[in-house]
Amino acid sequence: MKKNKVTLWERYLTKEIGIEFKACLYFFAILFFYCVYRLIQGTQTADIWHMTEMIFTCYIIGYLQVYVFWDFDEAEHLGTREILGMVICTGLYLLVSYIGKWLDRNLPATGILAVYLLFTYWCVYFIYKTKRRIDDKKLNEDLRLFQSEHKKSES
Amino acid sequence: MKIEVKQITEGTEQLILHYKEPTPVVEGILQVLGKADAKLWGKVDDQSISIQPGEILYLESVDDKVFAYTANQVVRLEGSLTSFLLGVGDEAFFRCSKSMVLNINRVTALHSLSGNRIDATMEGGEHIIISRRYAVEFRRLLKGGRGE
Repeated sequence: MKKNKVTLWERYLTKEIGIEFKACLYFFAILFFYCVYRLIQGTQTADIWHMTEMIFTCYIIGYLQVYVFWDFDEAEHLGTREILGMVICTGLYLLVSYIGKWLDRNLPATGILAVYLLFTYWCVYFIYKTKRRIDDKKLNEDLRLFQSEHKKSES
Repeated sequence: MKIEVKQITEGTEQLILHYKEPTPVVEGILQVLGKADAKLWGKVDDQSISIQPGEILYLESVDDKVFAYTANQVVRLEGSLTSFLLGVGDEAFFRCSKSMVLNINRVTALHSLSGNRIDATMEGGEHIIISRRYAVEFRRLLKGGRGE
């Protein structure tokens, strides 16, 4: 019997890649918001320190999402705990953005960022759900094929 | 090869095969005979019963005891899940977690879960989770080893 099981190292690596992916995804979402804000403020440059803070924050919150908040954006259903996770993580982003002056401590802009982040989380949740639905179709097609081929080989 | 077929009305039924070399024809015949007799013996309420491997929906190992679940009964089998898999030698029986083996031919639907796990719905309606550790191999098996 072939041993094709995923090793502990591979499992860790898969999780780590998932976190890296989340960090990049949310970083670009926040960076887009930040750039739009800067443009509205009449500035055409982005602060490198702000961007550095953003990527590190996204990375740390990515870890929290996966290990503490039940990986809510990949959840099967959006229940109370998933929504709680979304709200807490959004709160953490707002806190860092306020301390780091990403949006010049502008309260209306910070409020809009909160709505934007919650909407982004919902979109990501929806995208993962759609991806799984497509995967279901592929899996079930493969299952039927396996079953018919196995039946043929038995008869 | 000389073939002699005789129908009998009394006595024990038997098949005797005389061969000099195990040719593909001989091996094929033996394989068919082996499959026809591939019964499993187990116990239900201290009574010995036999079941065909194909009847099994899934097997579970609880406290070093192996239970085979069919559509209408739970049969306790001797040995371990590993010895079962080796004995049956059928790729339709898949180790889906440390303590479970499922019969892919009796799966009605699959559902992809987060964390790369798979939910298998059996003919009886039971849901069996294929853990992340075994899901990759499961997908590969369904594709017949064709890869992603």
